Amino acid sequence: MKFKSTLVAAMTLAFAATAAHAQINVGVTLSATGPAASLGIPERNTVDLMPKEIGGQKINYIVLDDASDTTSAVKNIRKLVSEDKVDVVLGSTTSPNSLAMIDVAAESKTPMISWAASSRIVEPVDEKRHWVFKTPQNDAQMSTAIIEHMTNNNIKNVAFIGFADAYGEGWYEQFKGVAEARGIKIVANERFNRTDTSVTGQVLKMMAARPDAMFSAGSGTPAALPQKALKERGWTGKVYQTHGVANNDFLRVCGADCEGTFLPAGPVLVAAQLPDGNPVKASALTYIDAYEAAHGKGSVSTFGAHAWDSGVLLNAAVPVALKSAKPGTPEFRAALREALENVKETPGAHGVFNMSPTDHLGFDQRSRVMVQISNGAWKLVE
Amino acid sequence: MKAGLSPRLFLVVFMGILLLAPLTLSAFYITLLNYIGLYAMVALGLVLLTGVGGLTSFGQAAFVGIGAYTTAVLSTSAELPAWIAWAGGAPWISLVVGLVLTAAVAVLIGSLTLKLSGHYLPLGTIAWGISLYFLFGTMATLGGHTGLSGIPAISVFGVELLQGHQVYYLIWAFLLLGIFTTRNLLDSREGRAIRALKGGIVMAEAMGVDTARSRMVIFVIAALLACASGWLYAHMQRFVNPTPFGLHLGIEYLFMAVVGGAAHVWGALVGAGVITVLKQWLQDVLPKLLGESGNFEIIVFGILMVLILHKARGGLWPIIVAGVNRVVPIRVDRRRIDPNATPLPRRNMPAAGDVLLEARDVTRRFGGLVANNNMSLSVRAGEILALIGPNGAGKSTMFNQVSGVDTPTSGEVLFLGQSVVGKGSRAISRLGMSRTFQHVKLLPTMSVLENVAIGAHLRGSKGVLASAWRMDRVEEDRILAEAARQIERVGLAEHMHDEAGSLALGQQRILEIARALASDPCLLLLDEPAAGLRYKEKQALGDLLKRLRGEGMGVLLVEHDMDFVMGLVDRVVVMEFGEKIAEGLPEEVQKNPAVLEAYLGGVE
Amino acid sequence: MDFQIALILGQDGITNGAIYALLALALVLVFAVTRVIFIPQGEFVAYGALTLAMVGNGVLPATVWLLLGAGVVVAVLDGMAALRAGQSKRLIAIMAVNLAYPLALLGLLKAMPLAELALALQVLVALLIVVPLGPMMYRIVYQPIAEAPVLVLLIVSVAAHLAMVGLGLLFFGAEGYRTPAFSDARFEVGPMTVTGQTVWVVMSSLVLIVALALFFGRTIYGKALRATAINRNGARLMGISPALAGKLTFFLAALIGTLSGVLISPITTIYYDSGFLIGLKGFVAAIIGGLASYPIAAGGAILVGLLEAFSSFWASAYKEVIVFTLIIPVLVWRSLTSHHMEEEE
Repeated sequence: MKFKSTLVAAMTLAFAATAAHAQINVGVTLSATGPAASLGIPERNTVDLMPKEIGGQKINYIVLDDASDTTSAVKNIRKLVSEDKVDVVLGSTTSPNSLAMIDVAAESKTPMISWAASSRIVEPVDEKRHWVFKTPQNDAQMSTAIIEHMTNNNIKNVAFIGFADAYGEGWYEQFKGVAEARGIKIVANERFNRTDTSVTGQVLKMMAARPDAMFSAGSGTPAALPQKALKERGWTGKVYQTHGVANNDFLRVCGADCEGTFLPAGPVLVAAQLPDGNPVKASALTYIDAYEAAHGKGSVSTFGAHAWDSGVLLNAAVPVALKSAKPGTPEFRAALREALENVKETPGAHGVFNMSPTDHLGFDQRSRVMVQISNGAWKLVE
Repeated sequence: MKAGLSPRLFLVVFMGILLLAPLTLSAFYITLLNYIGLYAMVALGLVLLTGVGGLTSFGQAAFVGIGAYTTAVLSTSAELPAWIAWAGGAPWISLVVGLVLTAAVAVLIGSLTLKLSGHYLPLGTIAWGISLYFLFGTMATLGGHTGLSGIPAISVFGVELLQGHQVYYLIWAFLLLGIFTTRNLLDSREGRAIRALKGGIVMAEAMGVDTARSRMVIFVIAALLACASGWLYAHMQRFVNPTPFGLHLGIEYLFMAVVGGAAHVWGALVGAGVITVLKQWLQDVLPKLLGESGNFEIIVFGILMVLILHKARGGLWPIIVAGVNRVVPIRVDRRRIDPNATPLPRRNMPAAGDVLLEARDVTRRFGGLVANNNMSLSVRAGEILALIGPNGAGKSTMFNQVSGVDTPTSGEVLFLGQSVVGKGSRAISRLGMSRTFQHVKLLPTMSVLENVAIGAHLRGSKGVLASAWRMDRVEEDRILAEAARQIERVGLAEHMHDEAGSLALGQQRILEIARALASDPCLLLLDEPAAGLRYKEKQALGDLLKRLRGEGMGVLLVEHDMDFVMGLVDRVVVMEFGEKIAEGLPEEVQKNPAVLEAYLGGVE
Repeated sequence: MDFQIALILGQDGITNGAIYALLALALVLVFAVTRVIFIPQGEFVAYGALTLAMVGNGVLPATVWLLLGAGVVVAVLDGMAALRAGQSKRLIAIMAVNLAYPLALLGLLKAMPLAELALALQVLVALLIVVPLGPMMYRIVYQPIAEAPVLVLLIVSVAAHLAMVGLGLLFFGAEGYRTPAFSDARFEVGPMTVTGQTVWVVMSSLVLIVALALFFGRTIYGKALRATAINRNGARLMGISPALAGKLTFFLAALIGTLSGVLISPITTIYYDSGFLIGLKGFVAAIIGGLASYPIAAGGAILVGLLEAFSSFWASAYKEVIVFTLIIPVLVWRSLTSHHMEEEE
């Protein structure tokens, strides 16, 4: 019976905590610990920088960690919608977590903006995904950028290595689809774990397949391992990475071994190098300035920018929704969803949003650029 | 003893609270209770497997995964292969499919790994746990690492259980069903066999318990509980991917069982509850105390767990019970013994004077050492034979040869005319030979009554299902009545309900005799029964043995205590250096110069 | 697969296997003396490597604050115990070891230009910070429940592991680090290239193993530990304090773990949570050795390393499935060939 009283005590505390909230409540669940922590931590840092007030309404962020675990992500969103009565949910960091949250968002009729890559989160926009939006580019969009670059460089055969998780798997599926359509053959398909100490076996197999280029799909510093192993085994050809590596820690760990690597990325990675006419340049620089002011020069990552973009979407949609309903009501949530679906030509850090009832991402070509690592820095490829 | 509230009352109050919880608690707390129920179901399996049976498993999360994935695939896949299509789209059918599949996998894995001894077993569970987890992630039909979405909710009588408070009743019904059946099982003939697995395997085998089968039984039950939890999880979450079924969760389930109290069925619930609520509470409270920037939850959680285990090695449940007891005494309900129960059937005793046991030219070598050389002896019905000799003479080895614990290098052991060499102690006990141990082997936390009832294992036949559903009560009453009869017979009646571990050593030896008698043997093997007994107790033991002899039982005893032996036994066999040096009536043997030499020779 | 590929894979497997072997030895040692299955062993690898990386980057490693915190807790626990036993004279020694040492180290680190130190000195700094955490951990976490059943000790280990991984994330962040190689040399041996660091790893492992053998065979403390491992109660009767044996064991385990981390961080990236999987492989090897035999554990470690290397070549997506499934027959074989006493929990 003791456990009951513990529960009651825990409840009282939680109630006391929620009573203080007012205005627009934004619930956030992200993976600040666990395997996806390197993505979740910059996202968490970014939430601190997001708008504190929109349309004259105070914005209150309630941030929960889901430890990269789907069960916790679902538990968190249930808490956010039922206890905190949030008007919108942001997150989570990974695709499985976001996919798992869709049902709760739809069931509670709460709009949700995911920060994860898989296109399955918003496609097709059916009865449930009606409530779900996302800010990161689909893997297919990024794949197309890589494939275009490969085609232009006369690459016919590619060896693939990716994380043995949803990230690597999602990339392989999307990349394979686009590559086959463009006549590029995938001659090796390997996997590795984030914390593996060696990928020698995989790399030997990839080299034995004699590809024209190597493609590694991993995120953050772990993606440096295959590339260093390739270098050690004497590979001198082209290497492609994904936008998952786009933070300075990757450059630090990979060092000279990653010189010349190509990757697709959101424009935010090379914002300063964008031509002045680029619609994304100003909005991307705003984010970078805000982040680096808080966390130091060179600390910015593209993952945090996905979180930032959800703030951009809210900034555009909340004032519209406020016209028809009061925050904290089902009507407001429905209006906010409606407003999000009608965001047009709004530049974020990663691109320009043009939402529609059939497109809950709303990115076009402007959301990606090709980048090369040159002299230990990110360089825009014209 | 009679004072205090009945445990049943607490149970009723608890059930009432559970029933009313959805009416008073907010939706999120119902969600938390749902998770607690799901976790507790897996932890309950571990209580049975690890806490009671002594088999540590890290792999339970993989069985949860089998249950979850089976139903996820069956209820979402548009094009199932023809042979399984009939099970598509119906959660209740997929539960059955999942349970069958889990049982099959558990039997397969169990038959490979349950033979592993010692620390090999936990590692074995880690190995298959990880293998299954990665299989979930790599198989495309299972949605890979990304997962499967769109799993429908469960329908009960046409009502779709979409909301948390609807699933709540289903989950807790499952859990309580699990708890009650497990509790029933543990309080039964099969249950005593299971409880003997932790530290009593040699004894249990000697009482005729098939311990390998008991291990498999609890392994499969634990897997089925995990599978049912996975089935509920999939339909509550409506999404599955591999992360909830990995090694980390496997460890966490074990964690819950141990923190709650791995030896108690309610410990599973307490552990799951405390850990789930604590994590939630830390998530709410810590950011306010320590700031939002870091993630301190897991650190504080780890430290708190270390502290809890420092204070409560046996888990929280015993502490809770003790705490409640201090406020409102809980009545201890003793097992009722029905004196009118129909006595168990007895075997046909051989006629007095028939040869029961005959050992011919038994030789046992350990490498170069000959522990027994050409030993022969025979025991008849209605006779007490003593095997004596100085320390290191090979008496215990000889005892092991005839009781089936060990197999002779050469020679023959016949029991009731059948060769029993290499048959194992279980088969031998079935034939009607029962024994006690030189180093007392009993289950110290079980009552004297239950310890003795293990002896009657082979005289009952009700299995696991009958026990779990309480369809074994008639037979159980008969077994306990028989055990009580034997306890009274050996003079331990006043200790009937005490913990066996609380008895004095001499009394524990007597308990072992009662346990052996409960198996209705025709031959009793006693290994130093008088050691540690006081004079009066020895006299009582002697009287008992004489009475047994009068009833036509054969007794072989190994003994040091000459006074005890000489006044009691019919014949004596004397051993030295692994060989028989004398045999005959006590008074003859006492005068035998070789015997005198053997006993007194070294003493100058 | 041709011969050359097999050679390279073999080399890779042996390098990783050498690290697993070290960890396996530490795990066997800890279990034999204290009955603790030391899951946080892997965290010492990560702490060692990441502390070295911090030092190399010229940052004051956060682990030194942990050392100070643990020192305070130990000082309070031991101090109170000493006062209760009326041995107030011991207070000074307790304070010196548990408070003065971390404070002095902290002052020294603050004063020194960490990034400019020679690599060997940086390694020494990392050892000075991380290794004392081992005995302190024994004092705080395990000593109060030294007599508890193995299962409880195991669960306590899991809890300590969780806390240490959480602290690791707090101290070092989620991204990984590499440290500079001890040697940039490359040797051509027949058809394959061997890097200097690989030689370092394998040779250091061998040297450590020999050193441990000498320690156990020749020194009084080593013999005391062996006696404790064989018979705890007997050793106590002979005047060997179980607390001292425990602390000494954890010192050695922490030393081995930290050195392993320092050795592999130049050839692979180490993260705050790398330790668990590396430790687990060491654990597999230790169990193959029955948590008792050092040579079989070392052999098992090499086996695990090779299995990993070759299965990552054949079917990398199924690597873990292959490695862990192939472990099962090995376990069955070991289980059948080793005599095991029942009645042990």
